[in-house]
Amino acid sequence: MNLVGTLFCTALAICALSALAGLATPTRLRLPLAGLGTAGAGALGTAAGLAALLGESWSAWLPELLPLAGVRLAIDPLAGLFLAVTGVVALCAAIYGIGYSRDGLDGRVVQAAAPLFVAAMLLVPAAASVSTFLVAWELMAITSLLLVVADHRHRSAVGEAGLWYGVMTHLGFVAILAGLLAFAAGAGGESFDQLRQAELSPALRGTVFLATVVGFASKAGIVPLHVWLPRAHPEAPSQISALMSAAMVNMGVYGIVRVGLDLLHGGPVWWWMVVLIAGAISALYGILQAAVSADLKRLLGHSTTENMGLVLIGVGAAGLFAAWGNAVLAALALTAALLHVVNHAGFKTLLFLAAGSVQRATGTRDLDQLGGLRTRMPYTTGLFAVGALCASALPPGNAFVSEWLLLQSLIHALPTSGVVGAVTMPLAVGVIALSAGLAVATFVKAFGIGFLAKPRGPEAARAAESPPAMLGGMALAACCCLVLALAPTAILPVLSHAVAVALPGPGAVTGEVSLHLAGISSVISPLLIAVALGVAVAGTLALTRVVATRRVRRAARLWDCGGGPMSARMEYTATSFAEPLQRVFDNVLAPESDVDVTPVKESAYLVESVRFRAKVPDRIERRLYEPVLSVLTFVGRGARHLATGSVHRYLAYGFWALTGALIMLAVFQ
Amino acid sequence: MGAVLQVVLVAVGSPLLVGMMRQVRARLEGRAGAGIGQPWRDLRKLVRKEPIAPDGTGWVFRAAPLLLAGTVLVVAAVVPLVSTTSPLDEVADLFAVVALLALGSVALALGALDTSTAFGGMGASREMIVLALVEPTILLSVFALSVRVGTTNLGTIVTSAVADPLAVISPASLLAAAALAIVTIAETGRIPVDNPSTHLELTMIHEAMVLEYAGPDLALIEWASAMRLSVLLGLLTSLFAPWGIATGNAGLLALLLAAVVVIAKVALLGALLAAGEVFMAKLRLFRIPELLAGSFLMALLAVAASFFLA
Amino acid sequence: MTETMFTLPPSLYVPLLDLACGAFLLTGMMVLWRRDLAAIVRLFALQGIALAALIVVLGVYEQDVELVAVGLGVGALRAGLLPYLMRRALIAGGAGREVRPVVNVATSLLVAAVLAMLAYAVAQPLIRLSPTPATQAVPIALTVLLVGFFVLVTRRRALSQVVGFLLMDNAITMTAFLTTSGVPLVVELGISMDVLLAVLVFQVLTTRMRAAFGGTDLDELRELHD
Repeated sequence: MNLVGTLFCTALAICALSALAGLATPTRLRLPLAGLGTAGAGALGTAAGLAALLGESWSAWLPELLPLAGVRLAIDPLAGLFLAVTGVVALCAAIYGIGYSRDGLDGRVVQAAAPLFVAAMLLVPAAASVSTFLVAWELMAITSLLLVVADHRHRSAVGEAGLWYGVMTHLGFVAILAGLLAFAAGAGGESFDQLRQAELSPALRGTVFLATVVGFASKAGIVPLHVWLPRAHPEAPSQISALMSAAMVNMGVYGIVRVGLDLLHGGPVWWWMVVLIAGAISALYGILQAAVSADLKRLLGHSTTENMGLVLIGVGAAGLFAAWGNAVLAALALTAALLHVVNHAGFKTLLFLAAGSVQRATGTRDLDQLGGLRTRMPYTTGLFAVGALCASALPPGNAFVSEWLLLQSLIHALPTSGVVGAVTMPLAVGVIALSAGLAVATFVKAFGIGFLAKPRGPEAARAAESPPAMLGGMALAACCCLVLALAPTAILPVLSHAVAVALPGPGAVTGEVSLHLAGISSVISPLLIAVALGVAVAGTLALTRVVATRRVRRAARLWDCGGGPMSARMEYTATSFAEPLQRVFDNVLAPESDVDVTPVKESAYLVESVRFRAKVPDRIERRLYEPVLSVLTFVGRGARHLATGSVHRYLAYGFWALTGALIMLAVFQ
Repeated sequence: MGAVLQVVLVAVGSPLLVGMMRQVRARLEGRAGAGIGQPWRDLRKLVRKEPIAPDGTGWVFRAAPLLLAGTVLVVAAVVPLVSTTSPLDEVADLFAVVALLALGSVALALGALDTSTAFGGMGASREMIVLALVEPTILLSVFALSVRVGTTNLGTIVTSAVADPLAVISPASLLAAAALAIVTIAETGRIPVDNPSTHLELTMIHEAMVLEYAGPDLALIEWASAMRLSVLLGLLTSLFAPWGIATGNAGLLALLLAAVVVIAKVALLGALLAAGEVFMAKLRLFRIPELLAGSFLMALLAVAASFFLA
Repeated sequence: MTETMFTLPPSLYVPLLDLACGAFLLTGMMVLWRRDLAAIVRLFALQGIALAALIVVLGVYEQDVELVAVGLGVGALRAGLLPYLMRRALIAGGAGREVRPVVNVATSLLVAAVLAMLAYAVAQPLIRLSPTPATQAVPIALTVLLVGFFVLVTRRRALSQVVGFLLMDNAITMTAFLTTSGVPLVVELGISMDVLLAVLVFQVLTTRMRAAFGGTDLDELRELHD
């Protein structure tokens, strides 16, 4: 067993031990033990992933562990990338979790499930056969479901979220199961090596691809299979939200890349068109919902849909370019997509953890009630600011780099890609641009309304800073974001090894300080941008110090139009901030609002009270899911007549089934 | 060398540009006007005033003007105005420039939100919506411009435009120019998107955001906004009328000549803009998306034309 | 005769052709943007000029005097007579605005963008048949055709509908000239007569509608159903 194997197996073993510690130790010890164990497993997982990325592969076959097929594991650079990402997220979340024990988090089941969840997420990319993959996938689904419903005793929304999540994730599992089983049946073997060498008919390949994409997309929260995500991610405890939103959704991307590009070796244009269009719709729809959302964690959940959409645009574009025979651009697009996976994991961990801090300190996630945390929670505010900058894809944030790479791959596709490309690429660029712009608005809202200005509610006014362990977890995530933002060149060369697994060829991005692209003469240097910006700001500061002679700031009242001091109720809220946007996009969002005016008894002209309610429902959910659900309810109600409670009737069903089967047998033999 | 000259030129010249544009407006409206140097006199007056810390504001409010000015200064250094070669060539990417300008807007919006007044929130909200809707047009125009050249590096785009002057009047280029002109108007807060001289809450965007700023802070913001205007106008002229710009390792004389030419071009464009504003009314806030959708359409057609008519 | 005629070098011909096509397209798109009916008529007149210019440029390049003459005739009809008639109808019907189109303006513009891409994609095989600068502009004509149809579908006022119809007709004419360098003069004359007739019918219709319903919103015609 080489280095990767040792690290990986140790990580799994520590996860198992932490789960035991979570189950067996008393409450006081439970949190630090399980937390430290998970953090250690995360660190080891990261190390294993990085070692695999650097070129050391590992594989193992344990025939006794599972009946029939045994467990087959293999860690190549592509798996290593996802291992490393999961490991880092787990590390940050686990350190944070030591200090965060509310929301039913210190229970035995939860503390035991969290390490198992991490272990499952480490196993999924390492699986190298269909059965191992499916088992790991199901383990990941079940443990995460347990964690989502951790706080179900206190809040009713949790139960509903758990139900949605459970149903959607299992429907997705069924799709993946069907796809992979068909694949394995066609290939005549179930190990990934056999699948790679399989010669399938185009129809079967298409079916396998579609089925697996549906399953993986539901895990990645892609529209229209996203409905569980904005429910489950916010309702889970915050470090679990971070694990789900920053690490688990990546497994959907991993699945599409692994099956579509690696095992099936790419496919016709229409496959990747499906992926690209799904990605584009998710990016736009996700960020629009995020922009009008007033719930901090729900906003972050929708933003996950957006970012996974952007990643799928990159994956789809990579597949398209490969289908058109443009290997260099395909590698660039996939590099951009995978880098965005890494970047998104970084900032989404940070943002969810910071949102958890806010929730812990104020008891609410409603942005309309927040504000003024800048003075009360200075560190959390600063850390959230870093995350928000990264998430809004502005320099010097990390998402700027990956979106820049993605845009470069799309805009330089035009001369070689024929009519389909010429129509697709500009629209894709438009979609990315609009979602980037809306992301800026969204995160200005989240940060500006949530943390700046004055408290809008009593809970926000009483907030206090989080304990050091929580701050430590967040700070670690922020450091990762900063490294990714300023020195993406440190990770890009190793990332190209992961890309080469799916699309063999030389690396698409080179350079030590600035990013040079293969075949495209655009250059960018994130570090130089940051330095130039720093110098310019320092220069401006020096200039104002020299020119402006009066230094002492005088405190003054805010401009209140002469109407007396301003109160917190006069502030702009998140809802009012997003209202113009909601109006601009009302065709898409279809917001609902109603106004109740109650007049006083004496006169219909004098108003006693006015109630205003506004809601932006998820339109896809309403149009797509509610009809299906109502049909299901109808069928279910019909089926109720079959089960009346009479034992004789049930026995009769059995009798008729048996004789029916015998009659069939007699007739068709 | 060229970069330093550009920064100095933009820093000193942009308040004069604003003064000139106000003067053109004043004359066309039959007023005498305050003179071209008035913005500089205003800045001097503001700088000498006492700095103010409005009740409840914090570091975000103080840092916003600095960051705004910083982003514009970086952009002024990298955008090809006088010379196409920049020492910061790795920053002179069209996407990076656009993103840096957006960063400046974000800083100002956060500063406005930090004041906790309704005006600040209103201005920030509107600014962010305009920013979000402008983004697709900008990136598609960038797309259209870079298809021909094969890069998004600004220096290379402008150099190739100098080398092939007929390409500037191609349909793709003209459509992209029109789209970017609308974008420039939106980004700099001019009529018909925003009115720089209004203080009416129904119409304010930029002014609502800076309402709480006073003294040196306000001076910094006014100066940065003027620089933003001149940088964007300069970029527009460099992209679509690059004649006279210094390419390669130009000597001092060539740089000075190029500086004179660019001043003339930007002044002309500014005067045209100011004259156009006299004949236009500000659009209602909810008509602005239509304008921006129109500019998006033009940018998309520019991309299509750059590919299909090539 | 053709020797004496002014010859157009290709270096000038292509930009001029592109310019005319660009103006043709832009005016068509602007019809979607403007609400003011008078402005829409003005835009239609401008498009007529662009179409005429296009035909004249083609004629001069191919040194075909007949084509130039047809171009001038088309210009006179589409930039002069038809807008004049529409303006009279507008005055008779009371000048007005397209207040609430079925699809709002911003969305219309985005739809137009998609239609343009569609037209470009569809026209590619056509262009591949004979890739000349003229046929490369066929997608523009197709785009305007689709935009005209879209105007017809989504605008409520009678005048906007007529303009939509005329946009389609302009686009068809343009396609004909771009691909085959013109239809026989007789056919062109016939089409022109039809178009003229349509506008005259419209003029009568608006006057009658105004008398009957007090407006020219075509949805009011539903009342005639019962």
